[in-house]
Amino acid sequence: MRAVLAPFGRGPSGGRPSRNLVLDYRDDLRIFPDRWARIGLVLLAFLYLWLPSQQVSDAGLRTLSTIGIFAIGAIGLNLLTGYTGQVSLGHAFFIGVGSYTAAYLGAELGWPFLVYVPAAALIGVGLGVVIGPFALRLRGHYLVIVTLGLIFLGRHIFNNWTSVTGGNRGTQIRGADMSIGPLDFSGLELFGTTYSREQSMFFLVWALVALTALLAKNLVRSRMGRAMQAVRDRDLSAEIIGVDLARTKVGAFAWSSAFACVAGVLSALQIRFAGADDFGLFLSITYVAIIIIGGVGTIFGAIVGSIFVVGSEELINQNSRSDWLGPLVSTGPTDAGWLSVGELNAILFGAFIVGFLLFEPRGLAALWFRAKAWFLTWPFSY
Amino acid sequence: MSALAPVLAVTGTDLVQNLIGGLALGSKYALIALGFVVVFRATGVINFANGAFVLVGAYMTYQFFQTWELNFYLSIVLSMVFGFLLGIVLEAIVLRRLVGEAPFTVIMVTIGLLFIIDNLVTAVWGAANLDLGDPWTGSVVEAGGIQIPHRDLWAMGFTGVVLCGFLLFFRYSSMGLAMRATAMDPEAALAQGISARTVYRVTWGIAGLVAALAGTTFATGTGSLQPGLGLLALAAFPAMILGGMDSPLGAVLGGIIIGLVQQLTQLLAPEYMEWAGRSPEIVVPYVVMIIILMVRPYGLFGTPEVRRV
Amino acid sequence: MMQKRWRRLLAVFLASMLVLGACGGRDDDDGDAAPPDDDTPTDTADNGDDTDDTDDTDDTEPPGDPEPAPGFDGETIRLGVLTPTSGTVAVIGNPLTAGNQAYVDYLNEELGGIAGQYPVELVVEDSAYDPTTAGQRYAAISDDVVAFVQILGTPVVNALLPDLIEDNVIAGPASLDSAWIREPNLMPIGGPYQVQAINAVDWYFSQPENEGQVLCTLASDDEYGDTGVAGVEFAADNLGIDIAVQAEYPAPSPTRPAQTFESQIGQLEGGDCDVIFFVATPTDTAPLNTVLTENTDYNPTVLGQSPSWLGLFAGFEYLQENFFLASEGTNYGDESVPGMAELVRIKETYAPEQEPDLYFNFGYLQAMAMHQILEEAVARGDLSRDGMVDAMENVGTLSFDGVFGDYEYGPADERQPPTSSSFFRPDPDSPMGLDLVERDYEADYVGDFTFE
Repeated sequence: MRAVLAPFGRGPSGGRPSRNLVLDYRDDLRIFPDRWARIGLVLLAFLYLWLPSQQVSDAGLRTLSTIGIFAIGAIGLNLLTGYTGQVSLGHAFFIGVGSYTAAYLGAELGWPFLVYVPAAALIGVGLGVVIGPFALRLRGHYLVIVTLGLIFLGRHIFNNWTSVTGGNRGTQIRGADMSIGPLDFSGLELFGTTYSREQSMFFLVWALVALTALLAKNLVRSRMGRAMQAVRDRDLSAEIIGVDLARTKVGAFAWSSAFACVAGVLSALQIRFAGADDFGLFLSITYVAIIIIGGVGTIFGAIVGSIFVVGSEELINQNSRSDWLGPLVSTGPTDAGWLSVGELNAILFGAFIVGFLLFEPRGLAALWFRAKAWFLTWPFSY
Repeated sequence: MSALAPVLAVTGTDLVQNLIGGLALGSKYALIALGFVVVFRATGVINFANGAFVLVGAYMTYQFFQTWELNFYLSIVLSMVFGFLLGIVLEAIVLRRLVGEAPFTVIMVTIGLLFIIDNLVTAVWGAANLDLGDPWTGSVVEAGGIQIPHRDLWAMGFTGVVLCGFLLFFRYSSMGLAMRATAMDPEAALAQGISARTVYRVTWGIAGLVAALAGTTFATGTGSLQPGLGLLALAAFPAMILGGMDSPLGAVLGGIIIGLVQQLTQLLAPEYMEWAGRSPEIVVPYVVMIIILMVRPYGLFGTPEVRRV
Repeated sequence: MMQKRWRRLLAVFLASMLVLGACGGRDDDDGDAAPPDDDTPTDTADNGDDTDDTDDTDDTEPPGDPEPAPGFDGETIRLGVLTPTSGTVAVIGNPLTAGNQAYVDYLNEELGGIAGQYPVELVVEDSAYDPTTAGQRYAAISDDVVAFVQILGTPVVNALLPDLIEDNVIAGPASLDSAWIREPNLMPIGGPYQVQAINAVDWYFSQPENEGQVLCTLASDDEYGDTGVAGVEFAADNLGIDIAVQAEYPAPSPTRPAQTFESQIGQLEGGDCDVIFFVATPTDTAPLNTVLTENTDYNPTVLGQSPSWLGLFAGFEYLQENFFLASEGTNYGDESVPGMAELVRIKETYAPEQEPDLYFNFGYLQAMAMHQILEEAVARGDLSRDGMVDAMENVGTLSFDGVFGDYEYGPADERQPPTSSSFFRPDPDSPMGLDLVERDYEADYVGDFTFE
């Protein structure tokens, strides 16, 4: 299993074996072990720099940034749910905390970007450490429902801590600092060219996606990461072989909520508004859906899942007046369609969750691994 | 009660009135929680789609009663039959494939179903408030200065009947016994000739049936039928957890505790709970739930899971 | 070795991409609008300056045909609508949009469009009543519309305001929140909630038979609830009466279970309240009616604000006897008011299947306001973003032919919303389920209320 799943050893060439072999422990630990991974990386770098140029509209870039923000949050959730096996419906709460941190420390108090983002992550760690111990006492379903309760508690706090959150009315995020050294991401200027907010945001978000993905990838290969997976697979056995259950679970919560808080900061900077109703059950479920659809327990799956979930919704929105959707979907009260765009999106969202869990429980990532394995082991495709 | 009242600066009548209101609210939560419990007992699944069953049940009663102009009580029965069929069909199409999967997987599937069904309901009936026009609304029973609406009496009655029905069913009917056996040990039950498939199917049917009844009781009152009713299932979670997820009696007691706590918070918050912020009654059930779970991780009446090394 | 090579490759690639990317820079603002918000801008001042600049150019050259601008291709004027077409708030969004559409159809069919030659087209997007979604939808269409005729929902408008200001786009908020009055990019119509509340309380107590009654409030625990209560407090101060009980209930949200009002009614009954000022949306009017119907000992009068109404409620007996709705204008179908006669005709012609509805009227009037601003912009020969803001500041008084009160426009600091309200009571035989009790009532001191 490991041999197929792990990004493989040496490519099929020359006198070497034609399939990926893990010959050495170090092969297992490499992040970018072979030429294909490197070419892929160069391609991604190309896309990163090419997409924000004139080729993609501001609206398109905004969607791409949203995808990136969801990806960061989903990577965090995947550490907790995918790698440690602790199911949480409370992820939205941490996203909210991050958003309000950006609103208060960034916009209200005017702290610099490089201070309030780490501050948000630290607050996330702190909250994770507070909430993690609940997971020690509760298991399975009970944990799910308690994390659900977290959302309601959070909403109550968001609505009542008016001096920080703006209360029921929510808070606008205007003029928060977004500069890293000489780069101001609220309107990037490079080599005499001015970039729009959407372009700059895209650069910022996807740079952070790369960073968090790398961080998470390293984390899951570390001692901590292996402990997390041991806890997921069988916590009793893990404990017996010397994994500190409390430390691992609390640590997973801390990492996951730190990532979520960073995603929250970015989403606040993008939307420029934070209101308590945004951080509800629906957002939590969206995150869980992303990792299910993308692939539970893979970093890559969190990103693919975000692309799929956010992208499909955008696709429906943009095509709601097209020939193929027009007759089904109504875009307004005077249009004769049967479902509204939002209803169709919600139904599809539900259908994707059910469909993936029934027919491809390991998500899009599994499709990818399977395709890759098929090519690598060709002609022995079994 | 009246000794307590002067201290609270809330009149005794108020208190009693609110306790009865809380009892009624609690029995409605309990009805929803019973729907959760029946599924959890037999299959070990928290059924988030219960909220969708509640919604469909409420709207089907409306459909039979208002649109097709049948007798009201007949409409409730037909709506319950519809709920039963819905449960069976979903089990056959979707949930049957998930037997033995991780709890998390099944929870998410039921959440997916919740999205699908809720939105189909608004597509069919629209999002505007509708008037169920039930014959109970508007009449009350008066006793000693306390007024109890007929709607509330019916809700409490239904809860009692369903609870007794469950207890008798699980104890004496062969299907009930089969369900208990399957819940305890599916393989042993299978070896005894019990068809797990039939048991699961009937379980989901019963969940749909009870949810339809719960939905109807919540939709009573003038102009109160609206898509938001589906979310009530969320409000009933604390009730179910509190009682322990596999105990019908626990579900009812949990429901009543949550209903009372919520109602009393609403009554006392403006005077005594300023520190808790505005409208603490929304969040109080969850706080109670978390506290109780910290003390008893399997709820008040739940069966502790024995873990052997 | 391998490592080094691919790193070098990557470096070369990145360098070349940076050059490529640099050509792809794109300024946020086509032309001269305000720069992105670097340091917390108090935008009123900024925008004032901007529009003054364009003012000058306008004065020097005679207005000709407007140049193509975002949302205007030289022929068709496109207007955005961001409204929930799904979810629970679609109950309000759909009739609003139908009102927008009916007026636009009339404008195109009978008047030949703006200035008789530029037809108007609506671009409707589903905001799902959710700031995040609305932000996406806004970004998707904002470059393609001249202005937004309708954006529904206080949270949504709040979330989009920074974008509206940055892009200098004008938008019609579909709520009577007084916070909109001083925003230079918003096009509010109608008297704000505070005005409705002040007039309602003053009107109620001006009637001799109501003298000496105990006044209370029952409001949702959010901003909307607070605005209504602020109006009631202002009126009570001026009348020299106390508010005996101020009860609250949780505002509707996606996670709130169904509201029951038993304890709140207990609280109000305990305070011997005779008249309750009720700030709510239709979702909560229904359970209030249930509770009051079933409480036979206690029959207070309820004063409600326009968003608390649904046509369905006209059939409820308790409300028929004890409820007054504060709104604006006149009975649906009141032929003595020219604007209303026209509204009925246009609805019958262009939206025959639409039930008469308060929200439909509001949408219709929003389109009417936008029509007047567009005429002004075309007359000034400028349909650009700046031109629209300019036109809105110089349009003078927006008239609604008596369906709503006139609204004096000008720079946002000087705007004066209408200060009169009308009162209705439920009547199942009337078209909207409402029958006019008193029209255009204005408390003497309502003008003293200052909007921040």
